[in-house]
Amino acid sequence: MDQNNSLPPYAQGLASPQGAMTPGIPIFSPMMPYGTGLTPQPIQNTNSLSILEEQQRQQQQQQQQQQQQQTVAAAAASVQQSTSQQSTQGASGQTPQLFHSQTLTTAPLPGTTPLYPSPMTPMTPITPATPASESSGIVPQLQNIVSTVNLGCKLDLKTIALRARNAEYNPKRFAAVIMRIREPRTTALIFSSGKMVCTGAKSEEQSRLAARKYARVVQKLGFPAKFLDFKIQNMVGSCDVKFPIRLEGLVLTHQQFSSYEPELFPGLIYRMIKPRIVLLIFVSGKVVLTGAKVRAEIYEAFENIYPILKGFRKTT
Amino acid sequence: MPNGSRCPDCGSSELVEDSHYTQSQLVCSECGCVVTEGVLTTTFSDEGNLREVAYSRSTGENEQVSRSQQRDLRRVRDLCRILKLPQTFEDTAVSYYRKAYQLSGIRAARLQKKEVLVGCCVLITCRQHNWPLTMGTICALLYADLDVFSGTYMQIVKLLELDVPSLCLEDLVKSYCGSFKLFQASPSMPPKYVEDKDKMLSRTLLLVELANETWLVTGRHPLPIITAATFLAWQSLRPSDRLTCSLARFCKLANVDLPYPAASRLQELQAVLLQMASQLAWLQVLKLDKRSVVKHIGDLLQHRHILLRMAFRDGTEVVETEELQQQGQGQQEEVEDGALDLPKKKRPASPALLLPPCMLKPPKRTHPTPPVSVVTGDENISDSEIEQYLRTPQEVRDFQRAQAASQAAMSVPNPP
Repeated sequence: MDQNNSLPPYAQGLASPQGAMTPGIPIFSPMMPYGTGLTPQPIQNTNSLSILEEQQRQQQQQQQQQQQQQTVAAAAASVQQSTSQQSTQGASGQTPQLFHSQTLTTAPLPGTTPLYPSPMTPMTPITPATPASESSGIVPQLQNIVSTVNLGCKLDLKTIALRARNAEYNPKRFAAVIMRIREPRTTALIFSSGKMVCTGAKSEEQSRLAARKYARVVQKLGFPAKFLDFKIQNMVGSCDVKFPIRLEGLVLTHQQFSSYEPELFPGLIYRMIKPRIVLLIFVSGKVVLTGAKVRAEIYEAFENIYPILKGFRKTT
Repeated sequence: MPNGSRCPDCGSSELVEDSHYTQSQLVCSECGCVVTEGVLTTTFSDEGNLREVAYSRSTGENEQVSRSQQRDLRRVRDLCRILKLPQTFEDTAVSYYRKAYQLSGIRAARLQKKEVLVGCCVLITCRQHNWPLTMGTICALLYADLDVFSGTYMQIVKLLELDVPSLCLEDLVKSYCGSFKLFQASPSMPPKYVEDKDKMLSRTLLLVELANETWLVTGRHPLPIITAATFLAWQSLRPSDRLTCSLARFCKLANVDLPYPAASRLQELQAVLLQMASQLAWLQVLKLDKRSVVKHIGDLLQHRHILLRMAFRDGTEVVETEELQQQGQGQQEEVEDGALDLPKKKRPASPALLLPPCMLKPPKRTHPTPPVSVVTGDENISDSEIEQYLRTPQEVRDFQRAQAASQAAMSVPNPP
C-alpha cells in the first residue's frame, strides 16, 4: 500500500514550475501570395545604390500597380492587421518584405521623385488566396452531434413509453424517455416539459432529420408537437495524424493550454482558446476534437494544432 | 507586585502574584479580584522554558473559520507530517486549501469531496516543488477512490488556475527504488538477493530512460514501468542467481505491491532489449531470448544510443552499423568464425519501427470510412417509417396486461 511513503528528505530546490510562455496560438490566417500580374517588391537593403535600382524597377511596374491601387488600398488596412499577426513563413518566403517595404516607400530618396503618390506600397497584392503554408491534408471526421429542440407542448411520458416500441422509461433512474430510431442511428432524450435532446448523428443534417423524425413520432402518439429552436449544441470529431507524439514535450511548451496526467488518463487534454475547442491528443497520433458548435471550428482547431504536433514528431 | 497596573474594581495598586494550583494569577490584595490569569510569560528567564504556541493551535483561528474547514486544515497538516514534508510545504498546502474553500463550488460540496480536496492540495504542493508523490499513495492514505480524487483534482486545478508540473520521473525512480527492501539481508531475504543501493539505482535510471526513449512511458502510469525496470536491473546485476526469481516473488521479497500492468511492461522492455541485442555483433551469435538477454543488460545500456539508432528504423543510417561493428570487433574477442562472418553492409534483422506499442498492434477492427450520405435534413418523412415505431393497440393491451401481472407478482409477498 505504501508505494511512496518513506520519502527521504533530500534537498529540495524550490524550483518553480516551468512556465514556458508561448506568445499565443498561431492564428490560422491566409498568407499573402502575390496575385496575378503583380510582381513582389525586391528586398530592400541599406545600400542606397540598390535602392535607386529598386526605384527604377518600381517605376517600370507603375502602370500595373496604379490599376490595383484602389482595391488594394481598401483591403490593405484590414490585411495589415492580419499580416502583423502571422508567425509562419510562407512558401513564397517574401512576406517579411511586406513589412519593410511598406515603411520604406514613405521616405523619398534625394534626387528621385516618388512616382507613386500613396504612402502605402501598392506592390502588395492583398487578395487572400490559398494558404502558402501547406495544410495538413487531413480532414477530421465528425463522430457525434448533440442537438436540442423544443417540441412546444407538455408530454405525458408514461403514455409515450406505453405506446411507442422504441422507448424506455424508468422514472426512478432518469426523468426522461429514451427513444431510438434506426435511420439515422440516433438516440433521443424526451422530457416531460417538451424539450428533447438528440445524440448520435454523424452530420448536422442527419441530426436535424433525426430530430424531425422523433417529433413526428411524438405527433403520431397524439401530442401537438412542433419543431421549435433546433440548435446544435456540441460536435465531436476525430482524426489521425499518423505519427507518434511526445506528450511530455507538448505539455512543457504549451503548459497554459495542456493538461497531461498519465496517472489518470493516457491522453493530453489541450484547451484551445481560439476557437474554443478541447482536444484530446494521444501518443498514437489520434486526436479527438470536441466542444464545437459549427463544423468550421473543428477544422480550424485541427489546422491550428497540426503544426504544433508536427513539431513534436520524434525523429530519431 | 506593583508594576504600574491597577485593580479595575477598587483601583488599588497592591497586586499580588498568587497562583491557584498551577495557574498563575495576579490578584488584588484589597478586594480580591483577579486582574489577570494564565499569563504566558512573565520574565525573560521564564520565556526560555516555555514553548511557542503555533497560531494553528491557538484559539485565534477558530473564530474566523468554520468547523469543517478547521478539521480539514488539521488534516492537511497531519498528512504533510505523515509524508515527512518540509514545513514550507505544509503552509503552502494550507493556503491552497483556504483559497479553494472560498470558491462557492467547494464550500457547498459534499464532505467526501472536501476530504479528497485535502489530498489534492498536498499533491499540488508536492508537484510544484518536484517532490515525487503519486496519486495512488494519496488515495491510499485518504482511503479515497481514484475516480473521486481525479475529478476533484482536475476541477480544483482548473478553478484555481494553477500550473502544476508533471511528475518528475527521475525523482520518482529514486524514491520508489529506495523503498524496496533489498539492501539488507534478513531471515526472509537470502544473501544472494541482497543488492547495493547505488548500483541498482543507477541501472534502474538508465533502464527507465531507455523505456522513455522507446515510447514505453508516454501515456502510461509511471509506476509499473519503474517496477519492471527495477526488477530487470536487480536481475542483471547477478543473473546467475537471480534469473530464477519471478517478478511477483521479487515484489513480495522487497515488500512492495506489484502493480498489475508491470508484467506487460516487463515484456515490452525485454522485447526492446532483444531488438537492441540483435544489433550487437558479439551477441548476434548467442541467439538470445528474453530471459538470457538479462545477462547482457550492462553491455546494452553502455551502447544504448547507438543501438537504438541501429535497431529501430526511422531514417536508417548505415554509417552507425559500420562504426559499431568496428567498435565491437575492437573491444571483444572475436566470436564469429568464418561461417558467421557478416558482411559489412548487411544487417541481420530488419530494423523494427520505433513506435509506441499501441501503434504496433494491429487495429482491433477495421474502420470503414462512413459512406458519404447526402442528407439535407429537410426530406419528407414517410408515414410508414414512423408507424414502425408505434405499437399496435393489441400490443399495447398485451403490454399493459404484462405490466399489471408483474406488479401483482411483486406485491404478493406481503408480510403477514
